[in-house]
Amino acid sequence: MGKAIVVTSGKGGVGKSTSTANIGTALAVLGKKVVVVDADVGLRNLDVIMGLESRVVYNSMDVLEGNCELEKALVKDRRTKELYLLAASQKNNKSDIQPEQMKKLCLELKETHDYVLVDSPAGIEQGFQNAAVGADEALIVTTPEVAAVRDADRIIGLLQNMAITDLHLIINQLSPEMVKTGDMMGPTDVIDILSINLIGVVPKDKEIVISTNRGLPSTYNHKSDAGHAYKRIAQRLEGEEVPIPEFKSAGLFGTWFDKLFTWG
Amino acid sequence: MFRRLMQLLNREQKSKDTAKSRLQLILVQDRTGIDEEIMGSLQAELTEVLSKYFILEREQVEMELEREQDSIALVANIPVLGTKVRHPIQA
Repeated sequence: MGKAIVVTSGKGGVGKSTSTANIGTALAVLGKKVVVVDADVGLRNLDVIMGLESRVVYNSMDVLEGNCELEKALVKDRRTKELYLLAASQKNNKSDIQPEQMKKLCLELKETHDYVLVDSPAGIEQGFQNAAVGADEALIVTTPEVAAVRDADRIIGLLQNMAITDLHLIINQLSPEMVKTGDMMGPTDVIDILSINLIGVVPKDKEIVISTNRGLPSTYNHKSDAGHAYKRIAQRLEGEEVPIPEFKSAGLFGTWFDKLFTWG
Repeated sequence: MFRRLMQLLNREQKSKDTAKSRLQLILVQDRTGIDEEIMGSLQAELTEVLSKYFILEREQVEMELEREQDSIALVANIPVLGTKVRHPIQA
């Protein structure tokens, strides 16, 4: 029996789908059997980020309505063995799926996969509830900005109310230069505020745009700092001890000390 | 001393510190549902009650919700000029 992890944030545009695609890919590269589930009914995009849009035939709604077997609805990734996508319906609304149905779907997927990564829609309404209801753990994605951290705090409260207590934070789109000059909150600042476990810091990286253009997750791109950060997150999910470096604003002694660290 | 030196060197607050303190305030309001208006009337009412017992420097009264790790505290600074309570001597 595998585990289901919801990837969520509250705020839109912080990199939920990108994180889902990359961590899913990285876990599969590590040899795990992974399915990524797009829970954004009506606004699906995980298929596009994974570069699998042309191969989606069925979606989760078809499975729930009994139009096709669950296994048949899973799209197999071309590059990595044991990586699958379950797409969301583009024609339906979020209220067309009931939490009980999602819970059952997650349970079924867990029986045949090591990881079920559920990409949540933005917001705190039914779409989020549906995405989280079957999850054992949550990856909360935020950026080091006031609005994103505020929404992350709200989401953390809602997840705890749903009795999901195994929560991990991903700080995405961090600019190390701006942290150094004191113009961006660093991981320590964000953790001070949210007080949950930090599982990774993903730097702002132009390669993400290029990867998304190509429909090829950055995990495959050896030039991508973000891709490497996602690989390390996958290792940490697998229980490996991979240290996360500290990013602090520069003190009196300049920045030579910071240069001793590489990316987290 | 060292702190003062640091303050002299960084006279302007870093924007990330502004972000952090704004967030802390926002989250206290989000979590408790108590906004500035409610805090204002709380302060007025509490000052009224305390004035029955103390002579207060009313303009200097400060009250705010502060967030620590997992808890929220109501922190008040209430300068007292004197007391209005006369202690009866027990027979």
